[in-house]
Amino acid sequence: MGTGKSSLIATLCRKLAGELELGVVTNDIYTDEDARFLRAEGVLPAARIEAVQTGCCPHTAIRDDISANLLAVEELERTQGPLSVVFIESGGDNLTAAFSPALADTQIFVLDCAGGDDVPRKGGPGVTRADLLVINKVDLAPYVGASVELMLSDARAQRGSREVIALSLRDDGSVESLTAWARAQLVSWRAGTLSPVDPGPPAPHVHDSSV
Amino acid sequence: MSVVLELLLADARTPTGGHAHSGGLEAALAAGLTLTEVPAFIRARLRTVGRVEAAIAASAARAATVDELLDLELELAARTPAEPLRRASGALGAGLLRTACAWWPSAQPLTGYRAAGSLTLRPVALGAVARAAALAPVAAARLSLYDDAAIVASAAVKLTALDAAVASGWLVSLAPEIDELVAAAAGDGVLPSSSTPLLDRRAVAHAIAERRLFVS
Repeated sequence: MGTGKSSLIATLCRKLAGELELGVVTNDIYTDEDARFLRAEGVLPAARIEAVQTGCCPHTAIRDDISANLLAVEELERTQGPLSVVFIESGGDNLTAAFSPALADTQIFVLDCAGGDDVPRKGGPGVTRADLLVINKVDLAPYVGASVELMLSDARAQRGSREVIALSLRDDGSVESLTAWARAQLVSWRAGTLSPVDPGPPAPHVHDSSV
Repeated sequence: MSVVLELLLADARTPTGGHAHSGGLEAALAAGLTLTEVPAFIRARLRTVGRVEAAIAASAARAATVDELLDLELELAARTPAEPLRRASGALGAGLLRTACAWWPSAQPLTGYRAAGSLTLRPVALGAVARAAALAPVAAARLSLYDDAAIVASAAVKLTALDAAVASGWLVSLAPEIDELVAAAAGDGVLPSSSTPLLDRRAVAHAIAERRLFVS
């Protein structure tokens, strides 16, 4: 919660809307707050942003019962025509949240360095196995006593070769890393080489490092 | 027919999107309904919209063609004056059809109904799915009425300070009455028209309410 998911999606929309047909589906705990934020940002036409309500079950709606999210994506394509990319924002979050691979082709897990620099070490499916881990708001690190270096090294130790980006939306270089990652995912999807990976299950489990 | 399939269709873990709905309970609580009145609220739903939807579900389970299903859909739409409730029912029906068509991709008229791109109101979808599962019309009526009660009881646990054993206990108490309504709804193919103006009015207000948790 408050790690900057909506702002990250707004940034991706702002950077990519000129070259791609984009849509957004938000999952909110209450009503459609995140969708309203994104519409107010003006990064996409309002009709390109759909809100899903999750009835207090934000994790269920993105993993165990994705019906409402799939309907929202279909509705976007029905009303807006074929889309290149649909961003789906999860509602609320904690370390066990993960998207079903039936809903998301690739997924970003967002941490906030102001939320504690020990979070990457704690792990969880998103930290360990999401396609991209973003450590956000790194410009705040000096003010909250967080070590970005520690977060990055812990994250890399958890994630092996999976990518990690230290992001500040005020730093164009880091934003460029994010958009480059997103473009590369799309290239891979179009080439048929992107296989959705399930970061779950939430329960701790061990991967054989030789595989 | 397999009783297991009926259990599967009654199981909230079967993915249809039902977890985001409260059967009008959230709006009712906001309008002043108290916790002790919730069982009466469930009973009122069962005797009105519950009874109508169960009769539609049973008739849809008898329907052999897509056209018959679409006719039933119009009958139910005419009995569902609040647009947010038609939309909610349509989303739930679409979720159910998605899952059931993955189980039985060539069942007719089930897949034809999904492909028709209509309102996909849940009771009609439920009847079509029940037929694909070789369940009797009475099973479709039972699933419809059970779900109507269970959706409110489970939402109550999230909306009020309540032990889930108490909420599920409401369903235990209501079981004999649900059984009676099931038999009546599946009986003669007549479609009742009981209406609930208060639920309709609240549903319209709820759709634009601030800080709501549930779609309906």
